[in-house]
Amino acid sequence: MREAIHSFIQAELLMGQNVALADGDELLLSGLVDSLGAVRLIAHIEDHLGMRIPPEDVVIENFQSVDAIVAYLAQRQTA
Amino acid sequence: MTIYTLTHILDASAQRYPDHPAMRCNGASMSYAQWHRRAGALAAALVEQGVRPGDRVGIYLNKSLETAVAIYGIWMAGAAYVPLDPLAPAARLIFALNDCGVRHLVTQNNKAAAVRELAGQSPLKHVIGIVQDQLPVPLQGLTWTEVNSAGGPMPKLRVTEQDLAYVMYTSGSTGTPKGLMHTHHSGLSYAQLSADLYDLRHEDILSNHSPLHFDMSTFDYFSGPLRGATTVIIPEAVTKLPASMSKLVQDERITVWYSVTTAIVQMVLRGALDKRDFSALRWLNYGGEPFPPAHLRSFMQRFPNVRVSNVYGPAEVNQCTFYHVDAPPDDDESIPIGEVWANSEGIVLGDDDQPVADGEIGELAVRTPTMMRGYWGRPDLNAKAFYLRSAYEHYQDSFYRTGDLMKRDSLGRLRFFGRKDRQVKTRGYRVELDEVENALGSQPEVGECAVYAVPDGEGSSLIEAAVIAKRDAVIDEAVLKAALAGRLPAYALPHAIRLMDDFPRTGTGKIDRRALRDLALSAPAKAEVS
Repeated sequence: MREAIHSFIQAELLMGQNVALADGDELLLSGLVDSLGAVRLIAHIEDHLGMRIPPEDVVIENFQSVDAIVAYLAQRQTA
Repeated sequence: MTIYTLTHILDASAQRYPDHPAMRCNGASMSYAQWHRRAGALAAALVEQGVRPGDRVGIYLNKSLETAVAIYGIWMAGAAYVPLDPLAPAARLIFALNDCGVRHLVTQNNKAAAVRELAGQSPLKHVIGIVQDQLPVPLQGLTWTEVNSAGGPMPKLRVTEQDLAYVMYTSGSTGTPKGLMHTHHSGLSYAQLSADLYDLRHEDILSNHSPLHFDMSTFDYFSGPLRGATTVIIPEAVTKLPASMSKLVQDERITVWYSVTTAIVQMVLRGALDKRDFSALRWLNYGGEPFPPAHLRSFMQRFPNVRVSNVYGPAEVNQCTFYHVDAPPDDDESIPIGEVWANSEGIVLGDDDQPVADGEIGELAVRTPTMMRGYWGRPDLNAKAFYLRSAYEHYQDSFYRTGDLMKRDSLGRLRFFGRKDRQVKTRGYRVELDEVENALGSQPEVGECAVYAVPDGEGSSLIEAAVIAKRDAVIDEAVLKAALAGRLPAYALPHAIRLMDDFPRTGTGKIDRRALRDLALSAPAKAEVS
């Protein structure tokens, strides 16, 4: 899952820019991902994991980095 | 005290409301007295470093309390601030630093790597916010801690309302950005007119959604402080997640919200508004793009006690019209731009540069005390930007030509009918399509290209491009995008690049961009499908 999220961000959201993305990097602060990118990332996760992410969960705490996203999804899948 | 420069805003509010929270950001807070003291210390440091009245000082900061300290500290030193996009590629920053001759930069320690890239390619000499050993030789650094603990004597400066207060860069159609010159007079006029119009009060809590390099931020940094209100600076990351943004409105008890339309539409669509308490919010102002009536209706029905207003005005004039939306729109007719605000006049000009009759479409030109002085170092643009109307012999009134096509409806309200040129708004950002086309066309593998805006389905638009490769050249989309990312801000990058053998053409052989846009709508390019 970590790999899938990572490669989606790299290929689709960074638009081919030569940026090395670390799992702890601040996706939203760095300007790597804009608001439209966040929407696409969530749609991608929902499609590929077959789950729905409620809008109120799409907050900084859960989406600020690849690490945060993975932790959120793991917690949501076991919940 | 008499307030006749922007600097006096902070002087007056620090005297009147010393302990009131002036700025908050990410859990940190600063009272008016603290703000005044920190700005004074920065001014002393800048003067010590050699800043003189009239100088331009760059601000290169992420959303933080330091942005507010920087603006007023630079003014106290008699200089003008130049807000730089903290996310822009180095080439764009280097352009601005060279264009208006910036020798001093106010920044933060985590920008050290980026600042090192600017050294040697710009007139930059002094950097505030970065420790010396992180900087290459020609640059002299001073940390914020050093600034705050210093504070030498200040020379007596004579700053008037006619002096330059800020130079703000925006997309230029010739391929390079252009710097808008605002004076203390135009900035303060904006602060006073907007504080009056929206009845700002000392008890208000304002949202600061716009980054410093966008003109909307002046409401949060000038108008709110003029009334001794509190401004909550919204961190960049929060602005990207609508549910976090709406939570901030709730938790910070924001009373006056002002942002680009896109940000509010996103909160309506994905902001979990049914779970939010907006009971403190009394006024919501939007601008930059039309508000899709269906989304506005949805917001107003959910929050019937919030007053909603449409703000209009290119950055060249800060603001010049207003429209209060009294009730949720009951149909899908666009919301009026409204009427020209106080102490200002608007005329609608036809192709012959004469005012049109009411009900006819033409370009809106305005004269207002909030108008810029002109574009920095661009006599060519300044010769075209203003409409001069003869008032008396040897004396003319100067109107800014907005480039926006408008007409007055039967009630005398202005309504928007698009642009006269190729400037577009993409999700709140102002972009000249010609600048993007210029950047794309200068790539070695590109033979011919066209850049156009495609509706995004949420009331705004996205930029897309179509490209024909040069003979025998191979186009790698990723390489092309990476090259553009080195020149343009992220929001101006085409979301999709369509590779074509030929373009649809009009009868005269010109590229038919409308057909390209329709093609993009009916058959999205590959990169759009995720």
